[in-house]
Amino acid sequence: MTRAQRRKRPGTLPGRFGRLMTEGPGFALLMLAPALLVLGFVIGLPMVKALMLSFDTIALRRPAAAGTYGLHNYVRLLSDPDAWGAVLRSALYMLGTVAGSIALALSAALLTRRVVRFRALSRLAFLLPWTVPAVVTALVWGVMYDGNFGVINRLLDHIPFITGRDWLIDRQTALPALILAQVWNEFPVAYIFFLAGLHSIPDELYEAAKIDRAGAFAQFRFITLPQLRYIIAVIVILLMIMGFKSFPIVYILTGGGPAGATETLTVLTYNTAFRTLDFSYSATLGILAVLVSLVLVLGYLRVMTRADTGKGGAV
Amino acid sequence: MTSPRRRRLDSVAGQVFKAAGIVALGIAVLFPIYWMAVIALTPTGFSRSLTSLVPAEVTLENFVTLFTERPMLRWLWNSIIVAAASSFLSLAFGTSCGYALSRLRFRGAGLVLILVLATQMMPATSIVVPLYILFRDFGLLDTMQGMVLGHVSLVAPLAIWMAKGFFDSIPADLEGAARIDGCTRLSAYWHVALPLAMPGLAAIFIYGFVTSWHDFLFAKTLINSQALWTAATGISSFRGEYFTLHELQMAAALTFALPVVIVFLVMQRRIVSGALSGSVR
Repeated sequence: MTRAQRRKRPGTLPGRFGRLMTEGPGFALLMLAPALLVLGFVIGLPMVKALMLSFDTIALRRPAAAGTYGLHNYVRLLSDPDAWGAVLRSALYMLGTVAGSIALALSAALLTRRVVRFRALSRLAFLLPWTVPAVVTALVWGVMYDGNFGVINRLLDHIPFITGRDWLIDRQTALPALILAQVWNEFPVAYIFFLAGLHSIPDELYEAAKIDRAGAFAQFRFITLPQLRYIIAVIVILLMIMGFKSFPIVYILTGGGPAGATETLTVLTYNTAFRTLDFSYSATLGILAVLVSLVLVLGYLRVMTRADTGKGGAV
Repeated sequence: MTSPRRRRLDSVAGQVFKAAGIVALGIAVLFPIYWMAVIALTPTGFSRSLTSLVPAEVTLENFVTLFTERPMLRWLWNSIIVAAASSFLSLAFGTSCGYALSRLRFRGAGLVLILVLATQMMPATSIVVPLYILFRDFGLLDTMQGMVLGHVSLVAPLAIWMAKGFFDSIPADLEGAARIDGCTRLSAYWHVALPLAMPGLAAIFIYGFVTSWHDFLFAKTLINSQALWTAATGISSFRGEYFTLHELQMAAALTFALPVVIVFLVMQRRIVSGALSGSVR
């Protein structure tokens, strides 16, 4: 075909088949096929493989057991205190990061919502931690938490009655310390949502409240919070998903230790595969994690559709 | 009732209180970044004897050590290659899918959307373990191609989801006009919708690039040889190796974080609106 001919009818493919693909129902297929093929290879295939592994026994310690299919991994999962301990730690981790991020982000958003001078600068300050890679967050907080030379312990030296400790090695402080690092890294996401949400609250509401002589707290309690409720719901789910997925911060800082005190479900899945070398059981744990995240995604969709149709939602 | 003067005093006090709050919270939030820079600029081995919060002596020797004695440049280069390739592939395969999800009515559209969303939101550890086994069988383990494919599984769902958002924001009338002028649907997509979506696609490319750049899990799992490590794996290894040499750790961390921070500063507005449209990480 010459160049001029192609100009005349752009985007045609030769023959009846070509016409079907560029015009008819084949068009949707043509557009979807590349992405579906790729996703099928990099996500679909691994998911199938994970299912197969979870019914098999591919473990370094029991090489002879390979090929005996059954539900044994799932039976083991049901009565495995390590697995349910990891689920509990994941839940605590999610709870901690959600509560911490929302408290920090909401305070920052309320403080900066009506800033006129240094507006961009004040917002940038609360967005910047988001740009820091999780790996870097882990390294920085690891250095700050250091028991001997960390800046946190050195600052605490100046405060009477509080003594520093080895934050990441102490069983009681390891998980909260990781949560704080994660909050620092991800609260800006909530901050963005809160700023947008606060921006969408009509000023008339506050003016009316002022006429009724409502104080700052009453305004917050009876105007700001109710107006933000959809945004808060969206953020809670989003932060839960992010907290549940979180891997590098925990893995790099403690690797799940001390003695499993910070082993969340994702870290346990990883350690089971690459430390214990029990790939089948790791795949089973991975499937449990997928099921949990599916519940979270359904919650997310539910909240999003309600925020779309609901009144006062700004998302 | 309170006098106007009293009220003005109240509001001035409130302003001062707020400003103080912003400054205090801002300092607390920015402190880790500041401290990373301080330690990175302190002579090797001297950060433990810092007595104040400002560096006593500033030096670049840690960065010199980083680039001369460790393959930092190599790792950064690997990161760039992998991020560019996986982001480009995701865009090449994902854009048309995003378009279909935005414009076409077909059976199963809702299902595809939910699947894309779900894959974006499930823990990558669930994928990486079976992927490791598969890649071992395919001989893709410890290769750049394998790592690029692994990152595509992270970036492609994001690209599809964001592309759908961008096409949603372009009025369909323009393609309708092109169709009346004799364009097929394919050419209406190729010649009308795609050029209009270009700024959006550029944003997706950068977002995908940053996602891949940040990734630790795939890079750590699918690659073994040090020469193929990405910068994320490289700098994370410093925590084990230089456990007490905080200066080198922080110099590496700063080097790795800086490009992304600069990209963010340049494109702040677009990234923030992208995050609001539901495509967070």
